[in-house]
Amino acid sequence: MNTEYFIVLGAILFFPLLLSFVMRLGMYRRAGPLLKAMGIVSILYWAWDIAVTARGHWSFNPDYVVGFRIIGMPVEEWLFFLVLTFVSIFTYEAVRKLLERK
Amino acid sequence: MKEYTLFAVGSAIAVVLLDHLLGTRVTVRRTFWVTIAIMFFFKIPSNGYLTWRPIVIYNPDYFLGIRLGTIPVEDFFYGFGLITLTLVLWEFFLRRERRHEL
Repeated sequence: MNTEYFIVLGAILFFPLLLSFVMRLGMYRRAGPLLKAMGIVSILYWAWDIAVTARGHWSFNPDYVVGFRIIGMPVEEWLFFLVLTFVSIFTYEAVRKLLERK
Repeated sequence: MKEYTLFAVGSAIAVVLLDHLLGTRVTVRRTFWVTIAIMFFFKIPSNGYLTWRPIVIYNPDYFLGIRLGTIPVEDFFYGFGLITLTLVLWEFFLRRERRHEL
């Protein structure tokens, strides 16, 4: 058991999550669209990931994951898509606020 | 052609087409390209770490074997597809919700 993949996810999420509260981007007032976009993309990419992991496109080094698996995939890999979709939307809204501010 | 190469490039093209089909026009905005630049900037250390360690192990049967540092080139197309689909759907659901409020 090793938490390295978890730490990478935490590092990706930390500042975007923190700044999403500080920057007043209004993302959380749009919880419906936020959850729909994150959910649909995650479902599509989970399906892709499960299929090609089973096929052998890639594998996860057991030395660096906590070892809890769902449908053959480490829990970190499931969280990866929720983290990345959130961070993508945060970055887009932060850039929009900075670039399009009147 | 290797499978991951095909899927990754195909997904990147498909999301740009979807953006035009849905009329979200995310990929024609400066905000979008600045977001992609920022996401790719942070992708290098995070994806780099995952592939350097390696936490994720790629099967040479399914990708070209061309890496930027330790990152397979396919990962940039994959990442572009993931980020872009997220932003297209975010914009799509955001607009739909705003329309319903009018």
